[in-house]
Amino acid sequence: MADIKTKNHLLLHVVLISFTVLATYPVLWVLALAFSGQQSVGLIDLPKDPGFIERFRSILPMPAHLSVSNFTEVWTDQDFGRWMWNSAVVSLMTTMLGVFLACTAAYAFSRFRFPGRNTGMLMFLVSQMFPGTLMLIPLFIIIVKWLELGNTYVGLVIVYATTAIPFCVWMLKGYFDTIPYDIEESALIDGASRLTIFWRIILPLAKPAIAITALFSFMTAWNEFILASIFMESELNYTAPVGLRFFVGGFSSQWGYFAAGSVIVSLPVVGLFLHLQKYLISGLTAGSVK
Amino acid sequence: MNVAEHLKRSAVLGLGVSILLTLVLSTWMFRAEEGELRLQQRQRLAVMHANALALSVADTDVGETGRRVSDIQKLNPQIESVIIVGGMQLVASTRAEDAAPRRLEREEKALFDLSNQIRSARETNQGEEVVRKKIIQVDEKVAGHVVVTVPYIAHGEFAGILQMKFNTTGEDVFGLTPDSYTLPLLLLVAALIAGTLLRMSADKRIDLVKLFVIGIFLAIAMLYQNQRMERYEQMVVQANQAVAEKYLATAEQYDRLGYLALAIDNSSANLWDTDHYQRPLGLIAADGSIPAETQAAHFEKRTRFFNRILWAINLLGVAVLLMFIYGFAARTYAALKEHAYAYAYVTPAMIGMLVLVFFPFIYGITLAFTDTTLFNEFLPFQDRWIGWDNFKAILGDFNLYQNTPDGIIWNYQNFYWTLLVTVVWTITNVTIGVTVGFLLAMALNTEGLRGKAIYRVILILPWAIPNYITALVWRGMFHPQFGVINQMLQMFGMEPVAWFDGVASSFLTGLATNGWLSFPFMMVVILGALQSIPRDMYEAAEVEGANPWQRLRYITLPLLKPTLIPAIVLSVVWTFNMFNIIFLVSGGQPAGANEILITKAYKIAFENYQYAYAAAYSTVIFIILLVYGFFQTRITKATESY
Amino acid sequence: MKRLLQILFTVGSLFIAGIFTVAQAAELIVWHAYRGAEKTAIEKLAKLYETKKGVTVTTLAIPYDAYADKISASVPRGKGPDVFIYAQDRLGGWIESGKTVEPIDFFMDDATRAQFLPGMLDAMTYKGTVYGLPLNYKSITLIYNKALVKTPPKTSAELVKLARSLTNADSGRYGLAYWYTNFYFHAALMNAFGGKVFDKDGKLVLNSKETVASIKQMMKWYKQDGIMPTEPSETLVSSMFNEGKVAMVFNGPWFIGEISPSIDFGLAVLPVIDEAGKKPMRPWLTIEGAYVSASSKQKDMAYDFAKFLASEEAGLVLALEGRQLHTNAAIYKDKRVSDDVVLKAFHDQLSSAEPMPNRAEMTMMWSPATTAMNKVVKGNATPEAALKEAAGAIQDGINALHKGR
Repeated sequence: MADIKTKNHLLLHVVLISFTVLATYPVLWVLALAFSGQQSVGLIDLPKDPGFIERFRSILPMPAHLSVSNFTEVWTDQDFGRWMWNSAVVSLMTTMLGVFLACTAAYAFSRFRFPGRNTGMLMFLVSQMFPGTLMLIPLFIIIVKWLELGNTYVGLVIVYATTAIPFCVWMLKGYFDTIPYDIEESALIDGASRLTIFWRIILPLAKPAIAITALFSFMTAWNEFILASIFMESELNYTAPVGLRFFVGGFSSQWGYFAAGSVIVSLPVVGLFLHLQKYLISGLTAGSVK
Repeated sequence: MNVAEHLKRSAVLGLGVSILLTLVLSTWMFRAEEGELRLQQRQRLAVMHANALALSVADTDVGETGRRVSDIQKLNPQIESVIIVGGMQLVASTRAEDAAPRRLEREEKALFDLSNQIRSARETNQGEEVVRKKIIQVDEKVAGHVVVTVPYIAHGEFAGILQMKFNTTGEDVFGLTPDSYTLPLLLLVAALIAGTLLRMSADKRIDLVKLFVIGIFLAIAMLYQNQRMERYEQMVVQANQAVAEKYLATAEQYDRLGYLALAIDNSSANLWDTDHYQRPLGLIAADGSIPAETQAAHFEKRTRFFNRILWAINLLGVAVLLMFIYGFAARTYAALKEHAYAYAYVTPAMIGMLVLVFFPFIYGITLAFTDTTLFNEFLPFQDRWIGWDNFKAILGDFNLYQNTPDGIIWNYQNFYWTLLVTVVWTITNVTIGVTVGFLLAMALNTEGLRGKAIYRVILILPWAIPNYITALVWRGMFHPQFGVINQMLQMFGMEPVAWFDGVASSFLTGLATNGWLSFPFMMVVILGALQSIPRDMYEAAEVEGANPWQRLRYITLPLLKPTLIPAIVLSVVWTFNMFNIIFLVSGGQPAGANEILITKAYKIAFENYQYAYAAAYSTVIFIILLVYGFFQTRITKATESY
Repeated sequence: MKRLLQILFTVGSLFIAGIFTVAQAAELIVWHAYRGAEKTAIEKLAKLYETKKGVTVTTLAIPYDAYADKISASVPRGKGPDVFIYAQDRLGGWIESGKTVEPIDFFMDDATRAQFLPGMLDAMTYKGTVYGLPLNYKSITLIYNKALVKTPPKTSAELVKLARSLTNADSGRYGLAYWYTNFYFHAALMNAFGGKVFDKDGKLVLNSKETVASIKQMMKWYKQDGIMPTEPSETLVSSMFNEGKVAMVFNGPWFIGEISPSIDFGLAVLPVIDEAGKKPMRPWLTIEGAYVSASSKQKDMAYDFAKFLASEEAGLVLALEGRQLHTNAAIYKDKRVSDDVVLKAFHDQLSSAEPMPNRAEMTMMWSPATTAMNKVVKGNATPEAALKEAAGAIQDGINALHKGR
């Protein structure tokens, strides 16, 4: 029995490792570029009639020489630290607002039967369907002209949170649906209020789903570029993606800086995921549901 | 209370509400329309005087021009002042303090710019052989004091502008609009009495009552609207007559001064009475007579859009009425009261949605019914309205392929080709994302597997790194000569592929990139969903001898459904509109064959500047997705647990 | 009469005082899309202007990819900067749509008009009205690796001969590389043959025998002579040049910063095309101008700052520190500029170059023209057929814009 288990895992490891290689290969090129100290992507250098080994060497993402100059340059050339901070503030506020609003709405959609419920659900879905390219001008009118929230964190947070909410609502609603109703019923009989049940029972049970929606909301805000550059009116208020885009576009592109910046920008996401991982660990919550 | 009783009560209430609503809305629309007519009338008179003066000084020298301008101004008390600007010079002015002719001063930059603007507008219209730029500017900053600017043509050449301040206060050709509420209100009372009387006879058939109520409503609404419309038509006629009278009087003045010999015959067009493109309106002939047929046609054209609005208002009224008759209103109220807590939970999220999503959304859809482009985006809305034309142009173009001797040539610019590509793109991408995500999630959910945490973190990297750069790396990997993919192919002795040259291979480049980018998301979602499956269910199944496949089929999949379905639905929607990857990787190559609808809409908006056409494209995309979403949720509703 | 004069004088001086106090409290906002040395240079000039005129100048850098959208969204709605800097390619569109760029003819004196290099003001002129002060220009020129090329070619025959000797396709080495499928780069050849996109009345004349001839010339280099790599792009060209895999490139001043320090490069004027009757290649000039925003509340001051940026004093800073090719003719007499190899080389190229059209319709040209170029390069269509199709598509777009009312 123990033998079979190890064998199965060996196969799993093979599958997982091959996917890991696939997932990381392009990322390694980004890293190679970031650590090359150069601005252009390294090309394949082949002799006249290349053999297998030469070709193999050429496809390994390794810079000719290692240098951290791209990183130091990105960090010092512009106010990148400040922009990372802005991004962090905006993204965390978005996450909190988005997840909070989504939890309440999803709970209602999952637990209550009320007229307009299906329409409401569909409306959240519908909101994702209208292509964003034409949203720019109306959003500018609402946020900057009417609400006068240009150049503020709040303006961005509101937009990002509303962008993220539909997914979060649908996701959480699906998850709430799988939590057995008996738990609440018994709590109701014990005299707990709806709000208590929501806070004390449902939310703790839904941790994995909340973790995912939090990650999603965070990512929505973290990587957004165009609205941030249009709403913000001083360089101090830019977010990291805006700062990153200075390196590309127009006539010249410093891909080395951009790659280094991208690596810096993705580190907090990886960190956040590391932190949220513990909610995705199997068997913790579900096993305790009785 | 029996059904019939209840129905009648709500019908009477509904009748009241809907009639009130309709009357208020109609009155409001008529007020607006009449206000518009008054404004146009003021501007029309001002334009007429400015045109007349500009024509009379067209062939005179500077001294004579100044004299004529001041003579005419003195004769006509409505003309407050006139200035003529040519280049940097103030050529003539009726204001003594101006001391014309002289150089323009700094504060008069606007005049100089206006002159340039009108010159370039004339040249544009002539050069492009279409009339699209206004060459008469009208402004009314102070109500009643119209400032009109027309080109100043000297000896057949553009020489500057003539600007006239024209006072129209204290002049009203229409008189007061009489109170027209009385009649409909009387009717309303009558209707209500009739409705109340109907309550007495409970044996009437319900359907008849409904029809009767709707009939009463329509009768009252249309009676009122017709009455207002007649009044409005009368106003239009009055307006035209007033202009004709003014025209004859002014022409007589010019004649007396000998400034302009008017060709008084009814065959030639009236050059004084023009629109803002300086085209004769044709409502008044050169002899001051009013041709009846143009008048009728003009009125018909004028009210075409307006009539539609009235119909929309009536339809709205009927809808409200029906809501009452069928008890929707009462039920909505009751539901609001009964489920207050549920609505309280939903409202905060809903408000954000309504403001930030649905306003832009309505903006976009409205835009789709206009012909807005970069060149006319700041024109008034009615001028841009074209109805369904954009949709007809998009959906009605079936020029999908051509039969040539060499075989079929597909027209990659056609909407249906792009739609096909988009659908294939969406299905393949979502399938790959879900399959790979599911496999990896299942693998990572295996109990006792070592290194899970590391795998999980590494596998989300494609999602974590900004896709702008990874898309570029993928694009580089597909380069025919220097890309690693072809190197790998050659490593194993295969021929290199020119990836972006073929429709299918170019499609694959986007698919590979997007699949790579999207599986981590699906993996994480499924990983989360797997946590909600109680472990004891598996244990129980194992005890009962279910094999792994059966466990997957009968436990995992059904329990994943509630979270998986929304994720799939949303990822279909997102993939359908996945702009970045197509734009950055294949760029729609070859020859635009691999564009998807959203990149096409982007090109139409930002390369061709046809904002409205792009909006119509976006609306079509939206409707396709809406239909999909509707059916998808319908199908999955049956499977919803709890 | 005397009394009247007195009153006038009082009112006048009050008025001036009013302007003055406003000016002191005022702040000018300037938008640009620079980073690095260019950004430092313009910020330095903003400070300099502040000390000179007592007006605070606040600059805001905006990523290029969002810049045009940001202007189109904010300026017509009464928001945005007092001055913004942008190339002429969007100018026509902004003027046609209105409420974005302020005409500045009225402000301009003859000395200002005369200070610019030839052709520069044309790029800022739309339908007879000047809308901006030109600041700098960019064009492509011949950039070569000195280790591989001893004397740069002067004619197309020399170019092909030299390039063929340096090409070895099997090991990925080529004599010449440029982004030839991109119409911006191709325009240099098209202009050599006398081809045009729009005639002087604004009619589309892309589909002409001159343009066809220019595409055939490009195809000769690519296919018959085989001196250029396939599927070119900006990244590919710079990577190849930096690794010594290509000897010569046609590229612009932006490329200089991307060249790796290990490459010793030289610059020369683009060659004369023998096949085009010994006419020189004439690249398009992209000219950046400073525009006064239509939403600005202080247009005089805004113009004054734009004028300062276009002056000789600012020009020297922008050229020497910002590495820009300034439009003020006077700076090229300065020894520091004329001794600068790069600045001088691009200034030399200016004698055969022409401003890219600033018409709004230009934006519609890129995509169909690029498709046409790709089709020809991949052998899917003849130059004639591809151009005819592209011109048809562009004309459809133009007709939709030029719809009468």
